[in-house]
Amino acid sequence: MIDNVIHAALVMTTPVLLAAMGGLINRIGGIVNIGLDSMMLAGALVAFIVASNNGSWPLALAAAGLSGGLVALLMTLTITRLEAKEIIVGLGFNILVAGLVRFFLKTAYDTSGTLNLPDISRLPRIDIAFIADIPVIGAVFSGHDVLTWFAWIMVPLTALFLARTRPGLRLRAAGAAPAATQALGLNPLTIRDASSVFAGFMSGLAGAYLSIGVVGIFSEGITAGRGFIALAAFYFGAGRPGLTSVGALLFGFFDALQIRLQGRGVPAELVQTLPYAMVIVVLTVISLAARKNRGVRS
Amino acid sequence: MITILSASIGRMRSGGTWLSSVVKTLAPLVLALLLGAVILAVAGHDPFEVYRLLVAESFGSAKRVAATFAASTPLIFTGIATALAFRAGAFNVGVEGCVNVGGLAAAFVGFTFVSLSGPVLLPAAVLAAVIAGALWMLVPALLKSRLNVDEVVTTLMLNFIAVSLTAWLVNGPLLAPGSANSATPIVADAARLPKLMRGSSLNAGFVIALGLVVLYWLWDRWTALGYETRIAGLNARFASASGMNVPGLLFRMMLLSGAIGGLAGGVHALGNVFRYVSGFSPGYGFVGIAVALLGRGNAWGILLAALLFGALSTSGATIQLFSDVPIEIVNILQGLIMIFAVVRFSNIWKVRRT
Repeated sequence: MIDNVIHAALVMTTPVLLAAMGGLINRIGGIVNIGLDSMMLAGALVAFIVASNNGSWPLALAAAGLSGGLVALLMTLTITRLEAKEIIVGLGFNILVAGLVRFFLKTAYDTSGTLNLPDISRLPRIDIAFIADIPVIGAVFSGHDVLTWFAWIMVPLTALFLARTRPGLRLRAAGAAPAATQALGLNPLTIRDASSVFAGFMSGLAGAYLSIGVVGIFSEGITAGRGFIALAAFYFGAGRPGLTSVGALLFGFFDALQIRLQGRGVPAELVQTLPYAMVIVVLTVISLAARKNRGVRS
Repeated sequence: MITILSASIGRMRSGGTWLSSVVKTLAPLVLALLLGAVILAVAGHDPFEVYRLLVAESFGSAKRVAATFAASTPLIFTGIATALAFRAGAFNVGVEGCVNVGGLAAAFVGFTFVSLSGPVLLPAAVLAAVIAGALWMLVPALLKSRLNVDEVVTTLMLNFIAVSLTAWLVNGPLLAPGSANSATPIVADAARLPKLMRGSSLNAGFVIALGLVVLYWLWDRWTALGYETRIAGLNARFASASGMNVPGLLFRMMLLSGAIGGLAGGVHALGNVFRYVSGFSPGYGFVGIAVALLGRGNAWGILLAALLFGALSTSGATIQLFSDVPIEIVNILQGLIMIFAVVRFSNIWKVRRT
């Protein structure tokens, strides 16, 4: 029972964590990416089609990442070069890509809503001998796929990248002090674009995880707003990769819990509101703390 | 000081020539239609034929015009709700949530107090929607005005909370007896908005929407509050320095924005659906953002933009019957218009030149 819950929670965490790491980098670079959900959806569809046509999951993952990155590139260029408001463009991309995906499903496959293709190459699970048999620890470490491992490895790597590397420093500068970046002879807009493409790439992988990792079927509502949960996660994490992963894990746990609680008297819909409500609380607490600090200093 | 203000407002209003303002308004639309045409052509449809059908199905007959008016009704409300908040400098993207809670509140009053007569019940139900919408904005408005918490995130998050919360209510406590789907009972006849045309869903809600457009225009153009809101939205520090209570203004405008968002839901519930169902709003709040932006915050611009989006959604639904063009072309156009509405086109030429 507990093993099942842990396993399900980790499965639900992976897509949110992937997209949240991308969104975190994007936000530190200076763009709040509301369009993560659209990039996830694009990645989910492309991964699904490639996995069926080529039968190769690594190729499907690469295609998903690239398609997410392409959507992000279009989005970021309208923001950085055409000075469009990131929030509106993000919402616009969510509407646009959802429309395009459904339009494409009807046009190319004559189906509305769900797409079922033969011979889907699913993400393989990595079972670790001995550890798999240990209760709890087995559920945590064994039986997960490459993307889950990748997502969690990215957490310390992202922290290291931001704190210790030159590009990480430049990224932070592009977000916090674009003028200083410019003075160093770097173009903050190009750095921002790069961070957006990274966010798109990660979200595309998150989408692929949903379509060829978890279910092996594609539906137009496959993301179920997880791009927004990812947004909630990096707001929850307040710019810190570790805390963001805690947020993603918490939301993944809620997601798994919500599915288990269905039909047991606890309203799943109310559990679904928790991630969003928590973000509002966290933002309030951060703001109150900042105000208190100011008060002490003055 | 007033003269400085007037001068800056005047400059902002004219914003170059009259012609350039028309071009700026039409450019997003034209570009979206062009890109939409490319997508249609790639998918093997004749774009001109599709657009001709769309126009015919939106304005071809009195009945189709009525359908367009009916479809644009909620969008007029959500467009104005969004524009009000934007004008004050509050980036409220939470109108969608207000539509949902407003719709549920109106439906609740409409099916609960069935013993009341029409002249009491209908206004009470509408009022419930307005109050619910305003209250839904209370938390983000307080957080924004008191603690300067980013309203984009709080209002966006509240949309999802509203959808889940109302889904829970109509699946449990407020589920219609004997009903399997997530819907409340039907509202009393007395709580329904009167229809304006036989055989069409056009109802008195459209008249209320038009009245609101006029009110918004008067408010924006002629009242001190409208003037102050404009200043605060343009330059909050300047407004503070001239003695305005900017946080108070933001707070009030966000509540007002929520109230009108709630009204959108109430009118939709009492005029069209006659109950609240899960999935009640097909994104009226989000399309309202596109409406407000395309209309450039101007009362008549919002009205025209809402009619345009209403025409798109109603004709998109019917051309599916005559052709094999997927209705999603409407969403594609909506998304494109939304994106192009905030793009600075002059930069395209700049990029080209360098």
